[in-house]
Amino acid sequence: MLCFHVCAGEIFELKAELNSDKKEKKKEAVKKVIASMTVGKDVSALFPDVVNCMQTDNLELKKLVYLYLMNYAKSQPDMAIMAVNTFVKDCEDPNPLIRALAVRTMGCIRVDKITEYLCEPLRKCLKDEDPYVRKTAAVCVAKLHDINAQLVEDQGFLDTLKDLISDSNPMVVANAVAALSEIAESHPNSNLLDLNPQSINKLLTALNECTEWGQIFILDCLANYAPRDDRESQSICERVTPRLSHANSAVVLSAVKVLMKFMEMLPKDLDYYGTLLKKLAPPLVTLLSAEPELQYVALRNINLIVQKRPEILKHEMKVFFVKYNDPIYVKLEKLDIMIRLASQANIAQVLAELKEYATEVDVDFVRKAVRAIGRCAIKVEQSAERCVSTLLDLIQTKVNYVVQEAIVVIKDIFRKYPNKYESVIATLCENLDSLDEPEARAAMIWIVGEYAERIDNADELLESFLEGFHDESTQVQLQLLTAIVKLFLKKPTETQELVQQVLSLATQDSDNPDLRDRGYIYWRLLSTDPVAAKEVVLAEKPLISEETDLIEPTLLEELICHIGTLASVYHKPPSAFVEGSRGVMHKRLPARTGSGESTESPDVGTIAGGSGTETAPSIIPSQGDLLGDLLNLDLAPPTTTGPPPPTSGMQMGGMDLLGGGLDSLVGSPMPPRHLGGDIGGSAAMGAGFGAVPAVMPASLNAPMGGGLGDLFDLGGGVGMPLGAYIPPKTVWLPAMKAKGLEISGTFARRAGVIQMELTLTNKAMSVMTDFAIQFNRNSFGLAPAGPLQVLSPLSPNQTIEVSLPLSTVGPVMKMEPLNNLQVAVKNNIDVFYFSCQYPISMLFVEDGKMERQVFLATWKDIPNENESQFQIKDCHLNSDAASNKLQASNIFTIAKRTVEGQDMLYMSIKLSNGIWVLAELRVQTGNPNYTVRKERIRIT
Amino acid sequence: MISQVFILSSKGDHLIYKDFRGEAGCDAVNKFYEMVTTLTGDQPPVVMKHKELHYVHIRQGGLYWVATTKADSSPFTIIEFLNRLTALIKDYCGCLSEKSVRMNFALIYEVLDEVVDFGYIQTTSTDILKNFIQTEAVSAKPLSLFDLSNVGLFGADTQQNKVAPSVAATRPIMSSRGEQGGKNEIFVDVIERISVVIGANGVLMKADIEGEIRVKCYMPSCSEMRIGLNEEFSIGKSQLRGYGAAVRVDECSFHQAVRLDEFDTYRILKLCPSQGEQTVMQYQLCDDLPTAPPFRLFSSIERDTGGRLLIYLKLRCDLPPKRSVLHLNNNPALPLFSYSLFSSLSQELSSPDQSAELQPQNKAVHWEIPRFPGGAQLSALFKLEVPGLSSASLQEVGSISLSFELPKYTCTGLQIRFLRLSPIQPGASQRWVRYVTHSDSYTIRI
Repeated sequence: MLCFHVCAGEIFELKAELNSDKKEKKKEAVKKVIASMTVGKDVSALFPDVVNCMQTDNLELKKLVYLYLMNYAKSQPDMAIMAVNTFVKDCEDPNPLIRALAVRTMGCIRVDKITEYLCEPLRKCLKDEDPYVRKTAAVCVAKLHDINAQLVEDQGFLDTLKDLISDSNPMVVANAVAALSEIAESHPNSNLLDLNPQSINKLLTALNECTEWGQIFILDCLANYAPRDDRESQSICERVTPRLSHANSAVVLSAVKVLMKFMEMLPKDLDYYGTLLKKLAPPLVTLLSAEPELQYVALRNINLIVQKRPEILKHEMKVFFVKYNDPIYVKLEKLDIMIRLASQANIAQVLAELKEYATEVDVDFVRKAVRAIGRCAIKVEQSAERCVSTLLDLIQTKVNYVVQEAIVVIKDIFRKYPNKYESVIATLCENLDSLDEPEARAAMIWIVGEYAERIDNADELLESFLEGFHDESTQVQLQLLTAIVKLFLKKPTETQELVQQVLSLATQDSDNPDLRDRGYIYWRLLSTDPVAAKEVVLAEKPLISEETDLIEPTLLEELICHIGTLASVYHKPPSAFVEGSRGVMHKRLPARTGSGESTESPDVGTIAGGSGTETAPSIIPSQGDLLGDLLNLDLAPPTTTGPPPPTSGMQMGGMDLLGGGLDSLVGSPMPPRHLGGDIGGSAAMGAGFGAVPAVMPASLNAPMGGGLGDLFDLGGGVGMPLGAYIPPKTVWLPAMKAKGLEISGTFARRAGVIQMELTLTNKAMSVMTDFAIQFNRNSFGLAPAGPLQVLSPLSPNQTIEVSLPLSTVGPVMKMEPLNNLQVAVKNNIDVFYFSCQYPISMLFVEDGKMERQVFLATWKDIPNENESQFQIKDCHLNSDAASNKLQASNIFTIAKRTVEGQDMLYMSIKLSNGIWVLAELRVQTGNPNYTVRKERIRIT
Repeated sequence: MISQVFILSSKGDHLIYKDFRGEAGCDAVNKFYEMVTTLTGDQPPVVMKHKELHYVHIRQGGLYWVATTKADSSPFTIIEFLNRLTALIKDYCGCLSEKSVRMNFALIYEVLDEVVDFGYIQTTSTDILKNFIQTEAVSAKPLSLFDLSNVGLFGADTQQNKVAPSVAATRPIMSSRGEQGGKNEIFVDVIERISVVIGANGVLMKADIEGEIRVKCYMPSCSEMRIGLNEEFSIGKSQLRGYGAAVRVDECSFHQAVRLDEFDTYRILKLCPSQGEQTVMQYQLCDDLPTAPPFRLFSSIERDTGGRLLIYLKLRCDLPPKRSVLHLNNNPALPLFSYSLFSSLSQELSSPDQSAELQPQNKAVHWEIPRFPGGAQLSALFKLEVPGLSSASLQEVGSISLSFELPKYTCTGLQIRFLRLSPIQPGASQRWVRYVTHSDSYTIRI
């Protein structure tokens, strides 16, 4: 290995050379330094000497020194300051190359102290006469933003950057677009790029003149635009289409992305729609003639496109035929696409190919090819017979892994076409002995069990498997158990012994719980009610369909918006693999709109996914804020519609609890009549205390951000019976993240029991069963009081409502935010995790009315630091009405007095874990603003 | 957005490392090498992920060219960029090798600095870059007579085919600026790759051709170049011109510097070539080949009485006889056996310069024919001892694949009519036009 420590002698030598008078010698020395740097040696000791070489008119030497600086300035921030003067001077050099070089390098030195000095030169360079300098400066704004975002905003660089979009030089435009796109990603709500028809027009013009790389920036930016109507969408498509014949595949794919997205808006009967479809095929085919690396990436994308719009490539089947010298990863992708494109028209051709592939050398590939034949049979019904005979041909070859794979897929074919091809069973049985893979053995056993009545020696066959029962894998054991039970139900007379043998093997001699459980179930079924057993075990099974291997539609839509990016290669949304806020936004395809039908731009993916991701910005000071907030919301007069004035919630510190909700609510339209308390962006809380009983449509996301801070010592609490209200349901688990299971829900307090109301929707293609739920430890010890009652399997597109009673005696752990609840839901597909937040009001118990005496005594004893005060604005209820409303939500008025026209209400609340909150509410008649002083104590 | 770019030798040495965005540490380099060397067979190596960092790499010149990214960037952009980068460095340094990269590291850093800024690709055009790049290339290979003995660009013998000396094509472009004052040369190569599948019954099942025209230019001041293609050249299925022997392709794409104003009428491509190599035009043709595929194969497979497997192959070259100097580099015929292993092979070949060997690891027989004139026919008989041969084993004999090289020949019939440079170059300028057809995947099923 290399020695990573440069010995002192070498350093000394380099030092001498660096300080030499001869330019050539200096240059060679700097080169040596950089060479050492590249291999990882530490040459930072030479920093001052290298910086000394900076002031030179030799551009080559200057570049080398700058290269060194970029690498070491960060580790030597104090010394980096020494270079600043030269930088600033270079930024005014008559040579544009040097100006650009200086501004580029300065941006790469990520030292805070330097950024201050960068502003002035950068400002000048952004307005430089030379486009090379301007384009470098544009990128430098993005660099600076990455180091110090605030500085960029304060200095007004963003506006200058926006101006550069109209620059005369396309390279400058492209870099400005790239820089703005990146900055905009960290400010999701800002309208930095300000895409409108005029600016789009400018971008499209620049598109024609840019370098290929600039075209990519611009196309990617265009893809984020939402056209107003189909006409605009068509005109953009028309101007983007020429990019499809570009030699650079990245340009082509970015263009494909724009077209796929905007096509969504075009009416399908439009002539242009057909033309566009035709134009998309050739460039995609061309990609397959590139290097294998590009081919692979292209195939992953084509796989998505074919799932979304199979018509584009339906005539191009042949290009996906495998070449013998393709790398294996390309072959497998091609195979997948072939199946997706298979149809009645081309099935003969496809099958002939697949059969050829089954004789190839690569075992993995051969297996996939055999499997593909089975998938074709399931997909193209008319060809099933042909597929089966092809599989039989393959079984005849007796090649071990081919036979096993063929048996596995024939099982699937039986699942799709029951009672149709059992004539082949005899052939399958011949190969029984050669099966050594669990999957194939299990498949074979399943077939024997399923068709036991038609196989004369089914009992012998199954018995032969039973001999080595303990050595089999679980998969085979389970299959064998079921198959023998099936056999017994079909031929009860001869097989009694066999079934007893297997039941005892499964229940007594096995330590696998799944197997044991299944054994017991069968045993009890058989012994109590054989007729019922027959109905259960021999029940008709749902048919399988080819869609099982398709990507979920919601995920597919998102992936289509990410064509040409890593997401399209991984087939995962970017949020799954990109850290931080970047890429969290979910993109959606635009909705189809008629021309002129709507002037509003469809919300392309800025809203979804925002909920629950942002947490409250500040620490919650005290619980009183919560109370005031609730009061305010509750007592406010009904507002007509539209976004509420953001002031009220904010001023009272409603932000604390509701921070997250506020962000997502402000600006999103609300239903016209939504309870009395539609104010302040905390509809959930308002609703929580409102006397209006109805459940409102769940159009809002109002998660409770924040929590109650560190006020509560956590202890076990008692849940007291009380009736309560139900906040609107919000989506907790989007279908995309849970393989098609969507969960929305809310919390309610019914008859003193906290209920978790869930709506489960199956957006997948397959049936979901075996639901179960579990909570992580949480602040108030919430835990399911019973199992999740989902009785019937959830078939695709079905929705069910489930109510889960909760107790508050579960294990306690402080959560951040305090009212956060982490939930795991399991079904037959997988386990999914999500977190949700419950309204604190749910925890207010019914016996929260404190004795007057106790109240008085306690009120005095509360230390001042526990006290806080705030105002509720715009409440037009009088004190009695307010008191009544609050009482409905377990906030009890203990006493009332009137002082100088002010009503003072004293109130108490008790939480499920025994914490008391005392409050004083002052209502001045005629003044819509209430003042609340509140304090909390803890009684154990 | 590219985070880092690095170049590694095949042994994992760091040759070049440049960080553009400061978001990932340089331990990424070692992590990459670890990942790429421990990759299992079925994992696609193109895009790899470790923690938050995504690696995209290509292999060229025996080196790993790697780019990393943290955002959801386009792998197309990155792969295209890496390919361009290798081309650029090849142009600047003359050839791609560990040695040339090591010797020119300062130049490569300089190029990288201009080509990518903060992860955004700026330009990859030599024309633009030559305004900025200061460092002179160090030629890794000194010019010497030794190189003349090297095999030519396409494996063709240099004297025989009047192909330009190979050393000309591996010269750094920048040296023409320097004191060496290289020759004014321009190379135009028409390269086609043919993929064919011929069914067991001798029917052509699939044939397609991918072609490209590449220009490598060593002229410092070439303002405009006109490349004339066959006048009867047509694009698309409907657009047939004139009678009969039209040269037709399905799809065409052009380098963005190509101006096509005379293309529609005269089939002339106009461009101002930058120094270095660029692909001017790419085209494809599917299925509808203008001529018969160059090779046909007749085979019979049977089991003799001694339980041996007999494979009789007769290979015919259907090229016109005037292409008699057809240079066949090698021709491995690969009957693929998926199952059995052979114990021994005996062979009868029709001429002594051919050779054949058994490759048990590929389950194949490799038959090599160094030269194969047009119109000729060769045959071979392979006898294989296969333990436990059954009649079903005959079904397992897979397809036969050929790989070959046809110099001075294009399957589409595309020709360069003329190559004009304007203004007329001062001094001697040399223009070279070369044609070659490679086999991409030429499969004959049994």
